[in-house]
Amino acid sequence: MPADNADAIVIRDVVKSFRKSTIRREYTTFKSELIRWIRGQRQQEEMRLIEALRGINLTIPKGRTVGILGRNGSGKSTLLKLITGIYTPTSGSIQVNGRISALLDLGAGFHPDFSGRENILINGIILGMSRAEALERMDDIIAFSELGDFIDEPVRTYSSGMYMRLAFSVATHVDPDILIIDEILAVGDQHFSKKSLAKMTEFKAKGKTIVLVTHDLVSVERWCDMAAWIDAGRIRRVGTPAEVALEYRRAVELAEEQSMVMQPSALVADGAGLPQVTVLRPVTGPQASAEQRSGSFRLEVSRIRLLSSGGVERAEVDTEEPLEVSLDFLSKEPLSGVHFEVVFRREDGVQVYTTGTRGAKLELPSPLPERGNLRLRLARLGLLPGNYFVDVCARGTQDEVLDFQRGLHGLKVSSPSAEGGLVRPLHEWSFEPYAASPAREERTQVIA
Amino acid sequence: MLRNFRELYQYRGLLFSLVQRELKARYRGSVLGFFWTFLNPMLQMLVYALLFSVYMRQKLPNYTFFMFVSLLPWNWFSSSLAGGASAISDRRDLMTKVRFPAQVLPATVVVTNLCNYILSLPLMLGLGLFFGEWMTWHVVAFPVVLLCQLCFTLAVVYIVSALNVRFRDLQHIVSNLLMMWFFLTPVLYPVTTIPEAFRQWMVLVNPMAILVTSYQAIFYEHRLPDFGSLMALLSGAFALLWVASQVFERRREEFAESI
Repeated sequence: MPADNADAIVIRDVVKSFRKSTIRREYTTFKSELIRWIRGQRQQEEMRLIEALRGINLTIPKGRTVGILGRNGSGKSTLLKLITGIYTPTSGSIQVNGRISALLDLGAGFHPDFSGRENILINGIILGMSRAEALERMDDIIAFSELGDFIDEPVRTYSSGMYMRLAFSVATHVDPDILIIDEILAVGDQHFSKKSLAKMTEFKAKGKTIVLVTHDLVSVERWCDMAAWIDAGRIRRVGTPAEVALEYRRAVELAEEQSMVMQPSALVADGAGLPQVTVLRPVTGPQASAEQRSGSFRLEVSRIRLLSSGGVERAEVDTEEPLEVSLDFLSKEPLSGVHFEVVFRREDGVQVYTTGTRGAKLELPSPLPERGNLRLRLARLGLLPGNYFVDVCARGTQDEVLDFQRGLHGLKVSSPSAEGGLVRPLHEWSFEPYAASPAREERTQVIA
Repeated sequence: MLRNFRELYQYRGLLFSLVQRELKARYRGSVLGFFWTFLNPMLQMLVYALLFSVYMRQKLPNYTFFMFVSLLPWNWFSSSLAGGASAISDRRDLMTKVRFPAQVLPATVVVTNLCNYILSLPLMLGLGLFFGEWMTWHVVAFPVVLLCQLCFTLAVVYIVSALNVRFRDLQHIVSNLLMMWFFLTPVLYPVTTIPEAFRQWMVLVNPMAILVTSYQAIFYEHRLPDFGSLMALLSGAFALLWVASQVFERRREEFAESI
């Protein structure tokens, strides 16, 4: 056994190109091939290739959950299909250690005229179970799918939700060493997706390797141990989910700001990638783990305090109370163009409010003094009860991240009011009965 | 080739389940259900029987039985080829969404049609009893002929199914070629009908002619088939199977991309 046995998947210099199925909008047929051959147009071969992956190197250790990010057409699905073995790489090698199961599409090979039970058997075998295993796990699969008596009805009579539930149940009962998922965690209603997530957690707990492709950055940050960002057929960044998601978000925002026209990257000669952003590797200080703090730390926000009325530091605040966010910073070198951002974020990641010194037109001295204190004053907090985070980011020129602290400062909001939602704007209810309409009185008078 | 067949053996569970499903699926939802397995060749035979024993009288004794003996294996071959041509190109769901052993698909078509053939054998034997054509000991040669046809059919279907992924014209070409092939093969007429001058030649270049005449020898003429040509066919079929594996193996990588 090779020494790198601890790695579930090792991908080395993988390039994948596809042949275009049309040449000058003509499909390949006997006729077209014959004509091409007679005319001796063989040399055009490279013109007809599409490069989907342009040299991928990625090692996924056993037992890790890896999220793969990237915009549409960046090569994520191609990579998954290469790992699964559906495609073979044009060059490079992929080494997979362990039984692999891919949820790229649910219900492959389902036959509409057959009952759920019959389809479980055949789909299970297609996904890699033996016949005996499929029969043995039949009851578990049926129970998990919650289809009840419907299991003996033909699949064509199922609603799409039932169909997906059945397919997902089979797929997750294959018991692979490596599970590959392409954007399908959101199956069925809320109840079922909770169950699906529980199944994922179970997989994780059993030490299985999971590779997940998704656009949902929140779930990457929540679920994965590691993230890889693929852009224009290349690995742009590998690292902790928070790091990678942050950089990915910034790149997408920047692309939007520059109103870049997104082209399918595989069609552009050198790949139309997202713009470069500079997020430097975090200096791992003693007080912050890498997931929560990043930046170049040429300037550090050394202390963040949440103060309520009277300047008292508190972690729990009432909706109606004022709040002050106090930032002490320490600049290690003279920096110009520095600006600060404060983000209020609910614990599930929903951004509630973002404000910055630049947007508020607050002129900070340039260069910034070595030390200083910055205060954001909210006369009234106005957030409804719940758990929030106050994230702080200091940026330099060209949006260089100096110090980004995310999820480090919790804020609990409590309130006696029984209202729902996120914010509590200043408001007032009023009631006024309609007086008898004066218009009608007039008309009555006229008639009289 | 060996690797190909080892893999096929490895996936025999899958092959078995798919064949079972195909057999069940064919008539699922129809009222007569599995009876159609028998009813289809019966009706087909009735048409030809009407044509050739009433309108265009053949002088052959028990012509209906003669025709049935050769028509059933021909049906196995022709439906395998017609269905096998698109066996891979029609299953985009399996080829592009899961890791699926492609060689199982053409094999499934061939084996399913083999099962249909074997299931209709009792019908043929019953018809033989009706016409007074009893089965004789010559039937020992039957498995050999069956094996020859299985190898030959598999080889042809592998090549056609692999090429059809790229060149979809092939499935249409195949269905038309089959028609011609049918009439060039002594299915509806005895081989002696072919003019002496090129009879030998017609039979030699057409493996199906060798097979069909072998079936006729066993069940209709009650003699052993010509083992010389059968063995030649078997070795030819093996060679073709080897070529087919090479073609299939080379094309296989592009199945998922081209479909």
